[in-house]
Amino acid sequence: MPLLDPSLADAVIRRALRSGADFAELFVERKRNQAVSVEESQVQRVSSGNDRGAGLRIIHGGVVSYIYTEDLSENGLLKTAEVAASVGRRGGGRFALGQVVDTPHPPQEVELDPGGVDVEAKVELLLEADQAAREKGGEIRQVAVGYGESRQEVLVVNSEGVQHQDARTRVRLMVQAVAERNGEIQTAMEAPGAQRGFEFFDEASAAEYARMAAERALMLLDAAPSPAGTMPVVVGNEFGGVLFHEACGHGLEADFVSKGSTVFTGKVGQTVASPIVTAIDDGTLKARWGTLGVDDEGVPTRRTVLIQDGVLVSYMFDRLRAGQLAHPVTGNGRRQSYQHLPIPRMTNTFIAPGAHSVEDIIAATPRGLYARKLGAGQVDVVTGDFVFAVTEGYLIEAGRVGRLVRGATIVGNGPRALHRIDMVGNDLKLAPGTCGKDGQGVPVSVGQPTIRISELTVGGTGVVPAGAMRP
Amino acid sequence: MNPIAERLLSRARAQGADAAEAYLSRGTEFTVKVFNGEIESLVSAASRGVGLRTFSEHRVGFAYTSDTDAAALDALADEALRNGRYNHAEEANVLPEPEVIEELSGLYAPDLGSIDPQRKVEFALEMERVATSLDPRVRRVSDVVYSDGAGHVELANTRGLDVGFERTVAYGVIDAIAEQDSERQSGFAFTYSRDLDGLDLAGVAREAVDNAVGLLGGRRVRTARVPVVLHPDAGTMILGVMGSSFSGEAVLKRRSLLAGKLGQPVAAPAVTIVDDARLPGGLASRPFDGEGVPARRIELVKDGMLLGYLQNTYTARRSGGQSTGSAVRSYKSVPEVGVTNLVLQPGTQKRDDIIGRVDDGLHVEQLHGLNTVNPVSGEFSFGVSGHWIRDGRLAEPVREMTVAGNLIGVLKLIVGVADDLRFRFAGGFCGCPTVLIEELAIGGD
Repeated sequence: MPLLDPSLADAVIRRALRSGADFAELFVERKRNQAVSVEESQVQRVSSGNDRGAGLRIIHGGVVSYIYTEDLSENGLLKTAEVAASVGRRGGGRFALGQVVDTPHPPQEVELDPGGVDVEAKVELLLEADQAAREKGGEIRQVAVGYGESRQEVLVVNSEGVQHQDARTRVRLMVQAVAERNGEIQTAMEAPGAQRGFEFFDEASAAEYARMAAERALMLLDAAPSPAGTMPVVVGNEFGGVLFHEACGHGLEADFVSKGSTVFTGKVGQTVASPIVTAIDDGTLKARWGTLGVDDEGVPTRRTVLIQDGVLVSYMFDRLRAGQLAHPVTGNGRRQSYQHLPIPRMTNTFIAPGAHSVEDIIAATPRGLYARKLGAGQVDVVTGDFVFAVTEGYLIEAGRVGRLVRGATIVGNGPRALHRIDMVGNDLKLAPGTCGKDGQGVPVSVGQPTIRISELTVGGTGVVPAGAMRP
Repeated sequence: MNPIAERLLSRARAQGADAAEAYLSRGTEFTVKVFNGEIESLVSAASRGVGLRTFSEHRVGFAYTSDTDAAALDALADEALRNGRYNHAEEANVLPEPEVIEELSGLYAPDLGSIDPQRKVEFALEMERVATSLDPRVRRVSDVVYSDGAGHVELANTRGLDVGFERTVAYGVIDAIAEQDSERQSGFAFTYSRDLDGLDLAGVAREAVDNAVGLLGGRRVRTARVPVVLHPDAGTMILGVMGSSFSGEAVLKRRSLLAGKLGQPVAAPAVTIVDDARLPGGLASRPFDGEGVPARRIELVKDGMLLGYLQNTYTARRSGGQSTGSAVRSYKSVPEVGVTNLVLQPGTQKRDDIIGRVDDGLHVEQLHGLNTVNPVSGEFSFGVSGHWIRDGRLAEPVREMTVAGNLIGVLKLIVGVADDLRFRFAGGFCGCPTVLIEELAIGGD
């Protein structure tokens, strides 16, 4: 069933253009979601939601105006179009939008629509995970397990005649284990997910992820405080890719580039990374968290090489910035919901695999930190400075993985770190995440093989010389 | 009662619910972004939604929708009840006893919606113009935004509660870029108010420029343990992260580092922390919480002692206490527990005197990686920039450093609290003055 009657969509577009705007686009969204949570080994919450609305964007002489509504009735939409035509500002500037040329990829197919699966099955999955984590022993004091599913359907209709629809179904599991010993508390989390139906859990064992979280929380009880200082850092694969995502990926988004606010502005064709680094954004990968049939401007997604052998090849564009910078579109125009304007965003972004095994990389490192798993992080796009939590980190001593350390963060500068990548592993893996920018959260994948950065600042509380203090 | 709420409550009752609660919100938004003397984008919208909570034999059901057609509302009630069937039954799952809600004035600027949008556009353009004309090293911004909104909440339940309130907020944000030789630094500043006229245009522009320029030429310093002075911009962010530790829900579920510490010292004697939901001028102020319980001022830490946690109806029943009116929510969620205006109370010392107490230490102005804190263990390691303090004065800029420790440890090491209270949105609306921390590990070269 179409999200909106095509003739109504057409009428809305025509009305929005009345004041002479150059371009109008209607984005209609319907999203259903369900969440189930188990805490204290009991079903704490089953909840569901239904979001439905539309956003209308008009561009007049380069100025973008946007209005959104939950009222999808004929009257409601036509009124919204009137308001858009009246509040919309006109700019004096000329502008062009990147053109939608390819035909869209079909929406991702799912085998088992999660909306049609009994809640009992979801509860059972969670209780199994809860049990598996608690079986790791009495020091596991609390386990929180959650399941989430969503199905988002979108329709993009614009004044150029584009009418594209897409559907995105996602399922995700979250397990958090809390371990406690002598008043000290440590916690660990696993959160696998995919753009798939409930069949995802045939392969991804909820109990296995729960055991992993519980084991890591317990291990952390024995960890020593991380040392602070500057040292080589080996960053683990999978979610380790968040480092590239934050520290470089955002700087390659074309809105920052068009304002000249990123360090990568004007550097296409230049060497921006060590020659062993190739980085890619690919919105077409099967079943990945950030995969789209078409982006939220109706542009088919594609595979975009961002950095090839250390040389900057391309930024990531939405239509507006592709037009501004006279570049073909890349299918990176995304938005959190109908309440938001599309902006350039990553999809599935990763560093391509290299030649080394993890063992080679560790063995080649006399001393340093092995940041096997990273947690959350943040970056200043203007300077490229970043900081990340290390959720599972080990000291490297004499080319061997040594003691587990806790409370470490790594701090550095994205562009400099790119040049300092001196080993790239062969174990590429991707992981799901939610990326925030301009108040909009969108699902993305991050990824990389194990890599080594020859020098980064590590923050922690251990083994630091004492200083002076006069109160 | 709002007809939508009425329909939902009666449908829920008819379908067998013992009790039900409808939370409706509607709001308007106006946002303008400018760049290079032109409007970059303009967003203007009105939005709404409703969430329904049902109680059947102490099982809670919840569902929400942004679709308020009659059929969708009936379906919503049925869905909430269906969701509730799977949930664990608990005595603590009840609606609060209705209480008299005292009015709270000053939350709403009635004129905000009728101001000519052109004035708001001009305000944004002027922010950019001023910010790029104060210092030759700041010729560009990366972001200049003016935004405002009005929100209207209505809450009704089957125990006879039927209340509502309206709130407005306006803000201006500038992210300036300072450039010198081949170096760039960003400087962020914001101004908040209930209405357009309350915003400080000159102040926010000056501050964004100072923040960007002040850090030019910043370098790493050696790894050490030194005294650290937290500027309020950094202190409010740390306070915001600590906010979740006061949650009675986090305590119940053993996810709070303050669990089991009631009546014990958790901070230095100089530290008093309150959550004041009726704070005059507090942008998170409100007459009642997400369940209709009157909002109030709660002393959490007094002279370093932990006096209490924040509770909603459920967590209060579980822990044998009273709700503190701390239920936070949107129409898309059930009531959780959270802070409103969270304030570390100012002391009497002057900021300069606090800095004057430090021979050799770090003045922290910007914090990065706040989301890297482990809220359960309290361990943190932030990226920081600011200035070195030498002989009691701010000296050269410092960047790309880390500061690490434990949140509780930091509270206990506070040896000076200034009188310069400042607020920012950081989880809640958080207020903190300049504070001196006896010693922290800083990581650099």
